[in-house]
Amino acid sequence: MEDVTYQKLKAFFPQVHLGAVEESKFRSLWVLKSFNRSELITEAGTTERYFYFVLEGVQALYILNEKGEKVVLGFSYSGSPSGVFDSFMYKTPSFTFLEALKPSKMLAINWENYQSLFELYPDFQTWGHHFFRDILIGRLYREVELLTLSAEERYIQFMQRCPKELRVIPQKYLASYLNMQPETFSRLRKSTHY
Amino acid sequence: MPPLLITSENQIQRLNLLMKTIGQLQELDISKLTTPPKPKAWSVLEIIEHLSIAYTFYVEKIDAALAKSPERTTENEVLKARAWQKLIIKGQRPKEGKRQWKMKTLQKFEPIFSNNLSQEQINEAFEKFNHLYDHLKQSILNGRQKEVSKTKVSSAIGPIVTFYLPECFEFLLSHAERHLVQIQETLDSLS
Repeated sequence: MEDVTYQKLKAFFPQVHLGAVEESKFRSLWVLKSFNRSELITEAGTTERYFYFVLEGVQALYILNEKGEKVVLGFSYSGSPSGVFDSFMYKTPSFTFLEALKPSKMLAINWENYQSLFELYPDFQTWGHHFFRDILIGRLYREVELLTLSAEERYIQFMQRCPKELRVIPQKYLASYLNMQPETFSRLRKSTHY
Repeated sequence: MPPLLITSENQIQRLNLLMKTIGQLQELDISKLTTPPKPKAWSVLEIIEHLSIAYTFYVEKIDAALAKSPERTTENEVLKARAWQKLIIKGQRPKEGKRQWKMKTLQKFEPIFSNNLSQEQINEAFEKFNHLYDHLKQSILNGRQKEVSKTKVSSAIGPIVTFYLPECFEFLLSHAERHLVQIQETLDSLS
């Protein structure tokens, strides 16, 4: 792993302080993986093998509804974590797909190595506390937005916090994430300022 | 009649479930795998072998169709099966967990096993199935990177039925799902 790549990974674990030997070991646990656009990183029905840190690209996490339509649950992008966490943690088949919407480069750590971080280095317990707290609160906010805001309000809230990378993915994914029809999303995009 | 919508993600999800379910059957006793529920009916292993035989007729056709399909430049879209193909596919697809109607199997698709199969022969039958249906899975995945919605494949019964590649995948998957129901019926009647 190149130094510049490692610095990005290190920045994702701000609570973790490792010595030189530990750092070398930590660095060796991650594998670089590349995915083409439209490639399925994780398929529904298979068990997630990795926890990912995204270096490049955008990925969508989605489930198929009864009609077979994609219902987008979330996105990952440069600097964010990725993967199907429930399948990874519980080692059970995934209900969701993880798809590369753009060509993607990701660092991957498998379950055994991920677990070893928590057992070997106490700082990862602190990191884990912050990480899962932020995920939980983020999902809670999203649920409140979906249940209480109008389509226009959801659009504005999302666009105000959305990274630039997400603005160039196909609209249907953003529309699905915001629980609106692609036509509604397109209309809001033309008529709404944020 | 509502349209039959085809997406590769839906096919992958169903195929993963199908392969996992068939894989679990390998744990069953030899007698459960090889005993037919009634004379002239197929045993579980014969049904699996039938699925392998049926798919064998498509391997080269699918490989050739994928090879001649151009690289995809647009988003993966939902494909609507055409009327005749939809009829053929829906005839295979189980409805509410039941096979819709029974049909006579052509001789070339009939599984033929000798009596007293060994565990090794049983394992070979499962390996063959896994190998072939993994080919189907890889083909569906490869099809996501190609423009396959207008690539034609003739069916194993000849040009009377011609599929576009995603319709062909859907037919094969629905056919396998139909026989998965038959496997369950067979196991139910044996227990």
